[in-house]
Amino acid sequence: MSTLKRLIKRKIALFSFIVILLIVSAAIFAPLIAPYDPSKQFTEGLTLQGAPLPPSSQFPIGTDLLGRDLLSRLIYGARTSLFIGLLANGFAVVLGTFIGIVAGFLRGRTGSIIMRFTDLMMAFPALLLAITLAAIFSPSLFIVALVIAMVNWVQIARVIYTQTISISEKEFIEAARSLGATNSRILRKHILPHLAPIVMVWATLGISTTVLLEATLSFLGIGVRPPTPSWGNIIFENQTYFSSAPWLVFIPGFAIILLALAFNFLGDALRDELDPTQRGRR
Amino acid sequence: MSTQPLLTLKDISKKFQIKGSKNSIRAVDGVSLSINPGETLGIVGESGSGKSTLGRLALRLIEPTTGEIEFDGKKISALGSTELRHARREMQMIFQDPFASLDPRMNVESIIREPLDIHNIGTKSERSELVRKTITQVGMTEDALTRFPHEFSGGQRQRISIARAIITRPKLIVADEPVSALDASIQSQILNLLLELRRELNLTYVFISHDLSVIEHIADKVAVMYLGKIVEFASVEEIFSNPQHPYTKALISAVPQINPEHRTDRVVLTGDIPSPSSQPSGCHFHPRCPIAQQQCTDVEPVLRNINSVTHQVSCHLATGGDLR
Amino acid sequence: MKIYILRRLIQSFFILIGVTFITFLLLYILPADPARQIAGRSATPEAVANIRAQLGLDQPLFVQYWHYLINLFQGDFGRSYLQKTDVAELIQSRLTPTLILMFSAIFIELLFGLAAGIYSATKRGKTGDKSIMVLSFIGVSSPQFIAAILVLYIFAVKLHWFPIGGYGTFAHLVLPALTLGILGSGWYSRVMRSSMIDILRQDYIRTARAKGARENRVIFVHAFRNAVLPIVAMIGIDIGIFMSGIVVVESVFGWPGIGQLAWQAIQRVDIPIIMGVTLVSAIAIVIGNLVADLLAPFVDPRIKNS
Repeated sequence: MSTLKRLIKRKIALFSFIVILLIVSAAIFAPLIAPYDPSKQFTEGLTLQGAPLPPSSQFPIGTDLLGRDLLSRLIYGARTSLFIGLLANGFAVVLGTFIGIVAGFLRGRTGSIIMRFTDLMMAFPALLLAITLAAIFSPSLFIVALVIAMVNWVQIARVIYTQTISISEKEFIEAARSLGATNSRILRKHILPHLAPIVMVWATLGISTTVLLEATLSFLGIGVRPPTPSWGNIIFENQTYFSSAPWLVFIPGFAIILLALAFNFLGDALRDELDPTQRGRR
Repeated sequence: MSTQPLLTLKDISKKFQIKGSKNSIRAVDGVSLSINPGETLGIVGESGSGKSTLGRLALRLIEPTTGEIEFDGKKISALGSTELRHARREMQMIFQDPFASLDPRMNVESIIREPLDIHNIGTKSERSELVRKTITQVGMTEDALTRFPHEFSGGQRQRISIARAIITRPKLIVADEPVSALDASIQSQILNLLLELRRELNLTYVFISHDLSVIEHIADKVAVMYLGKIVEFASVEEIFSNPQHPYTKALISAVPQINPEHRTDRVVLTGDIPSPSSQPSGCHFHPRCPIAQQQCTDVEPVLRNINSVTHQVSCHLATGGDLR
Repeated sequence: MKIYILRRLIQSFFILIGVTFITFLLLYILPADPARQIAGRSATPEAVANIRAQLGLDQPLFVQYWHYLINLFQGDFGRSYLQKTDVAELIQSRLTPTLILMFSAIFIELLFGLAAGIYSATKRGKTGDKSIMVLSFIGVSSPQFIAAILVLYIFAVKLHWFPIGGYGTFAHLVLPALTLGILGSGWYSRVMRSSMIDILRQDYIRTARAKGARENRVIFVHAFRNAVLPIVAMIGIDIGIFMSGIVVVESVFGWPGIGQLAWQAIQRVDIPIIMGVTLVSAIAIVIGNLVADLLAPFVDPRIKNS
């Protein structure tokens, strides 16, 4: 509770939270908010030469290369981008946390084998791996999320691993053992509660990474497939018009940055509040 | 005495492997001990003597390399992990650092109640009743229960760990330097609390300390440890009135005495306790011993009875009389 | 120390072998068929099978991998399926542009990042500091392709200061380097700021001030020297990140480096090239991390003994 209050006092964190809330509601209530069907091609949506229209009263931020309403595509695109961001990050956080805890709690041979494997994953050129995987598997939303998660779990696993080890070495863990607590009780009652804030920080920061990665893959044309709109593939589709109709690229671009920025700010503020090892560094 | 000892250690050893090396450290080396119910055994030694390891071995918090542990008629060293967990109800530990041994994210009530939860003792209401009773037993009030460890002073936290240790009505409590992290004025309060609880609850203590004046205050019998071995074992009166091992003498002479009649010449030890990984030949104490002779560097002494069966010492030169 | 380096080198070697194996495995189980890709749509099944046999693709995974490894140890990265050229040569010819771009970008990162970090640290908590920190967050939160397009739009399309893409002159280098450099400087300024703040708290800085040293001297001589060490270690990590992130910027600007080579190869499922580029990038990452770890004791003397 006090953490929440302190977060509200940080203006940037509060502002970021509101931005996230707005984007999330836009995504959830897309059918109610969006002025048009995002895939409807308007015959009056293009100039006579076949170029996209600039903002007007009918199309508030103009139309795209096929004469579709950009605002509607943007609002529906928020769904895709957020969905993939959350799903991929969810996978990554669950996998990373699980592996980190297992390796940190078991230690010994199992732990070190797992950690050597994360060393190996760390040496992988992450984006190259993601691009290769995405290009090769014909991407569905689910696969894109999975590919992004494959790239992102490693760092979380390493953070959780070192944290688990440092908590396991605390005397209150030995105390619990001396009371006769089972491993599973020690894990549930004494280790997880201490890991929770760290997981929360990484879960928040991670969304920003996954949203950016989705956008990048979609921009390269190997992420979310059109006609399903995502912020990355709106830019991908319209990039040929970027000099004559720059809003087609910069409005979705701005949306991507705004979302990533909001999660970054929020995660950073959370870390300041929740992660005592980082406290006082600002 | 016909009473069955509560805790018996038979030839207990613990070797620690040094990381990245083939050498190992003998933290505890062939220790045998027994404690009768209601007694307090003090274990004294410098840091690195293996006394904390011995305390943890007695509860099998660390697995012994060799040796047997018998507690209350049960062979603790042979129990499976589930049986061992059940047995822990009867034997508890109090740790040195009250700042580290309490989970900072739990409130005092959950901390004290944890042993009851673990061993599934009583109903929910019985548990909270017992928690409230126990917190007053250690000299605190019930309003402490909803607070968190960091809101308390060191002495109060140690009272909380004592409450946690006694709530299952154990027979044995191993206290590892329970007062050494506390201010001198608080130390005696905690020691008196422990004495009081021993009487009330009929407890048996293994009390580990580097401080002989604390041991003198609380223990009935004393084991002096040096480099993983017991070098002298006797009743507390014998140890203080007629110490036989030169190491014991040095420790006693370092205790500040208020009464000038009891003051003796200070026996000053030179050098540090050697690294347990490279133990000296013969008597392990000889490099620092003020009266060492040739045989001490060559032959390792064994623990032998001297004067009576209850006074044991491992020194070639001990005669039973006053060597001073 | 020597033993430590040796151990790390051996470890790195096995990590690289692991990277090749996993890449190989991933590419082996992928649904795309390179033989069909080479033969073209109209090829008969026999022709496809023929090509497959020629390339050794009909052999079991471990046999293929074993051959690959043996060749690798002889410096042979294989041949491109489509370009019929030696992969090692291809990569070599693309290495120079990538290195030029990388070092220019790091130069820009250091220029902006250090300046902003030092300024922020000395103006801690004031408006200037806060604005720089917000800007650095924006840098960290911006995907490279958006920055690339923005820079292109402003400096090439609107202002006509620089060419829209390509390679050859200094003017071609400016925009891609600027894109990477400005975004990256966000990280550098944050690290520099917190490192500088830590140092400025130390006793010896207070002593220097008490002795009457001018503030500029305190900051640039006494504090900077120590505060810059984490940055040096960071460059090591950064090189690794570059190798993998350079794909986007190189393809937007048409910069003929390794990233572009990789992107083209991925689109055509030219497996030997993908393998080669992955390995080269992994080598860069491993070396970068090694350098960063070796510098760690100098950054934080507490690590030295452990």
